[in-house]
Amino acid sequence: MRDVWIAAAAMTRFGRRSETLEDLMADAALEALREAGREPTALVVTAMDPEEFVGEGNFASHMGTYLGLSHVPAIRVETATSSGAAALYAGFALIASGFHNHVLVVGGEKMTHVSTPRVSEIISRVIDPHERSYGATMPALAAIVARAALAKGLITELDMAQVAVKNHANGARNPYAHFQQPVTLEEVMSSRMIADPLRLQHCCPISDGAAAVLLTSDPTGTKLAGMGQGSDYLAVRYRDSLTGFRATQDAAKAAFQMAGFGPERVQVAEIHDAFAPFEILSLEDIGLFPPGKAAKAAQNGELTLEGRLPVNPSGGLKARGHALAATGVAQVVELVWQLTGRALGRQVKASVGLAHSIGGLATNNWVTLVEQVA
Amino acid sequence: MEMVAASRCPDCGWVVAPPVRICPRHPVEMTPVEIAGYGSVLSYTTLTAVPEGFKPPLHIAVVELPGGARIFCHGKETRQLKIGRRVVIEQVDGIFYFAHLGLADRVTMFWKRRGAAPQRTTGAVKSAVKRFLSVYKNPPSGTAPPAENGTRSNEEEQNHRPAEKS
Repeated sequence: MRDVWIAAAAMTRFGRRSETLEDLMADAALEALREAGREPTALVVTAMDPEEFVGEGNFASHMGTYLGLSHVPAIRVETATSSGAAALYAGFALIASGFHNHVLVVGGEKMTHVSTPRVSEIISRVIDPHERSYGATMPALAAIVARAALAKGLITELDMAQVAVKNHANGARNPYAHFQQPVTLEEVMSSRMIADPLRLQHCCPISDGAAAVLLTSDPTGTKLAGMGQGSDYLAVRYRDSLTGFRATQDAAKAAFQMAGFGPERVQVAEIHDAFAPFEILSLEDIGLFPPGKAAKAAQNGELTLEGRLPVNPSGGLKARGHALAATGVAQVVELVWQLTGRALGRQVKASVGLAHSIGGLATNNWVTLVEQVA
Repeated sequence: MEMVAASRCPDCGWVVAPPVRICPRHPVEMTPVEIAGYGSVLSYTTLTAVPEGFKPPLHIAVVELPGGARIFCHGKETRQLKIGRRVVIEQVDGIFYFAHLGLADRVTMFWKRRGAAPQRTTGAVKSAVKRFLSVYKNPPSGTAPPAENGTRSNEEEQNHRPAEKS
């Protein structure tokens, strides 16, 4: 298997954007191509649901033509809300296998022009049909997880609120973030209840945005050191544990095994905090903290920009925003910027970064390790 | 006692509800079974932001039935609910409801489901009739389901009664 390197990383600001999905993806893609200074030999595109959100199908060819790359083989990858990470994995495999030397991976989503109930309905199709027929939405399933975690004493309501406060504080320093304003503990804990015990400020926003990465077989110094995928039952009710995600645990094991090092080398992490409690539970699933210890580390300030292990320096899904298929790519863009000293205003000191992406309610998750070796 | 349709894997013995064709653990065709409609609450939530077709507040619980199968169900409220609390399951028009409820609660609860007003009213009436018949058929033994007072073998018989025999 060949080593895979990152030659360029770019993204648009996330948020409520007036541009089309195609233009958002083109903005990210063209910037990555300019930075890389080389033409891709293959294109991997991802959008979770362009058919419903913007009415476009045959999306790999659509974007190939829009980007002026119709002469290059293109595929579209989709694994619900982790589609960006899955697209990276496909690009990684194309290069590691020797099929291609330079692969452009671009992910995007455009949703804010669609009404919120409609967006919720489209997104909730990632849920098991029995569970969905009872009105289960993504926040509802996350609330069921959070309720079980609260009952087990793995997290407290204060811990959940502090995740949002920390990530907004980071987002306030990130010009690419959807929300660039801090929130207070009181604001989070008194925000509107969405799905008890989850409040509005525990949940990520609906965002537009795009991100792109150019992967290459030529050593660049920034190595895609390991990638792992993990899966679980679509139905949450089938799982042995409601409070730990097998898909994350398996993804982390596979990624660390490929990289040849363990969690102790990770110095910065982008975690899928679509719902605040997921940040704490995921840190334990990945192995960055022993079971039951992540909440304590958060309380001690270990996860802030100045802490021992900065988590979500970008602001995470909560503040940077969650443009579905763009998110998994944007997490890696943030890691590249952090490892190469380009994360202005929120720079941490790190040479190994980890990105974690959750697809659906943890049915198809990914862990990606990026290492700066030169 | 309400029976819940489920399926059992002939290889690993796993029971899931509602029934599915293939065992989610491995590609083996499952056998239909019925399990007793009571169990304990694994987790729950109350939605204030509900999807299209539902009215807030929407109460959802995940209940583990005897033998380990879990189902999603609706309820009148979650205020007094606790994880581990034992509830009975009732099925009306193919929809599961938890708890032991009075008629007024039922009317409110059915009002929250999707569908036109006459259908909702019919649902509430069906539920009331069903409860009356079940009390008539199974003389009251308090709120506890029969198996709770029974022996273990009784319970197992109830858990995995093959559908064709019932």
